[in-house]
Amino acid sequence: MSQSVSSGERAVLDRLDRVTDPELDRSIVELDYIDELRVDSSVFVQFKLPTAWCSPAFAWMMATDIREEVQEVSDVDRVTVKLVDHMHAAEITRGVNEERPFEAVFEDATEGVEAARAMLDSKARLARQYHAVNTLLDAGLEPTQIVALTRNDIAFDDAAERAAISVADGLTIYAPLAPLAEYVEKARETGVLSAPDERLFVTADGEPIAPEAFDRVHHRTRAAKTNMAGQGAVCDALHNARYGESE
Amino acid sequence: MYRHEGEDVFVIDSHIHLWDASEENIVHEGGEQFIQCFYDYHTAFTPEEHQWDLETYRKYGSEKMVEDLFRDGYVDMGIFQPTYLTDFYEDGFNTTDQNAELATEYPERFILNGQFDPRDGEEGLEELERMKEEYGIQGVKLYTAEWRGDSKGWRLDSPEAFEYLEKCKELGITNIHPHKGPTIRPLNRDAFDVADVDDAATSFPELNFIVEHVGLPRLDDFCFIAAQEPNVYGGLAVAAPFAQNRPRKFGEIMGELLFWLGEDRVLFGSDYALWEPDWLVPTVMNAELTQEQRDEFGVALTTDVKKKIMGENAARLYDIDIEERKETLQNDAISERFDLGEGAVAD
Repeated sequence: MSQSVSSGERAVLDRLDRVTDPELDRSIVELDYIDELRVDSSVFVQFKLPTAWCSPAFAWMMATDIREEVQEVSDVDRVTVKLVDHMHAAEITRGVNEERPFEAVFEDATEGVEAARAMLDSKARLARQYHAVNTLLDAGLEPTQIVALTRNDIAFDDAAERAAISVADGLTIYAPLAPLAEYVEKARETGVLSAPDERLFVTADGEPIAPEAFDRVHHRTRAAKTNMAGQGAVCDALHNARYGESE
Repeated sequence: MYRHEGEDVFVIDSHIHLWDASEENIVHEGGEQFIQCFYDYHTAFTPEEHQWDLETYRKYGSEKMVEDLFRDGYVDMGIFQPTYLTDFYEDGFNTTDQNAELATEYPERFILNGQFDPRDGEEGLEELERMKEEYGIQGVKLYTAEWRGDSKGWRLDSPEAFEYLEKCKELGITNIHPHKGPTIRPLNRDAFDVADVDDAATSFPELNFIVEHVGLPRLDDFCFIAAQEPNVYGGLAVAAPFAQNRPRKFGEIMGELLFWLGEDRVLFGSDYALWEPDWLVPTVMNAELTQEQRDEFGVALTTDVKKKIMGENAARLYDIDIEERKETLQNDAISERFDLGEGAVAD
């Protein structure tokens, strides 16, 4: 997908960029999963995964996310998603385009994909929390200050690419935008930041962090990050073994 | 024996297989998919000059295995971890009885593990007794995601599995190696969840649970469980080859393992023939944490730590006196055949 793209394709790719591999929390565009894209009044998206044995549940999540994101692009009448080179390519392609539920397509599945998705989203949130908290530690905040922060205490300045954090009356500290904005986005999606006065950072179970538990929680979020990066390396190596090095 | 900076390193490869994935042995498309998937892992992580062709990979035979491990691969001892997969392969992928041929021929070199599957009921319990009686097994490899008819897997915390663990306790089979590895189809996605190890480890404190592949891609769940359960260990098979083409990631994984489990609970395994120890052992021995990783995790991957990981930890679990065994191995059939005795140490 490295050829020059039309404006229609660009709009679709921008939406596709929001679709993540749920296990790796990285964009499927960046991961080079998009194999073919045709855009006119209808859109055709073909994608492939690092192995034919990727969990069908994960493949299903990506396929449905692709369909839903592309449907958001204006002037798109119809979206067709096709998964290739996967042992369940046919079932997933048919099921997703017919908008059937996962458990209706896979009869031996004991449940839908939502529980697995929630678990992966929660891990993605933890990994992002690790980066966000490190950003604040680097900016000079103390653990006691970090655990006390609420959503209200942080403001994003997109133009300046920085975040402003109100630490105490009249004291504001600035930090790089991306790790904090990405964290807040995932925290919102996973429901741990539904109200503006809620604590910004919470434990794996969504509880506030006691100052004395800061290190332990931080180590746990680090493990989530390490796991995700490790699995990313496995997928990347398998992808290269299967399709050759990407550009 | 491997030599590292002038020191002897006794290598126990805690995860080896002698498999048969030849086309004649495959009875289910899952069998073909399984070996293809293994081969993708093989080519993805093996340096190009060490890669095998698929035909060799399907069935390499015991002769090649002995040469690859002991003549070329620095391995002093290897632990067989059987993987039956009898729904996929006519004679199984690699069974205890098949492995026993080599293990019996070279009893000082191989440790033979058995397996159980709680879906086998009473017959399986008797089979466990037979393996103990006939081979004196000290451990079992468990493949919780194995297909059996309509069933796509089982859990280690089920009452049926507990009955088997009870039996292991009774028979003195103390090392339980559940495979908790990469999510691969055609095996069931949920069956590799590590949560079931938690309850089993708490309920059977006298057994050791060596979680193979350190739970990847559930390393975080694994570490969290292992931190609470002192009888949970991590087997490095699949994580080890990261040292070759993803050294930074390898450092992070080792950082987590040393942080949560400590240096006494991590075991090296090549996963032969997925990967060969001849390049993997030196690669792991030469791996280092970056200064940043040492600071971040507060741990160090020193030569002493590596010696534990490469052999001492497994020796403790399998009751091997390394010094004594070194003596025995100096003049055994393998040493004589490959000229490995004293003064002929490869490095």
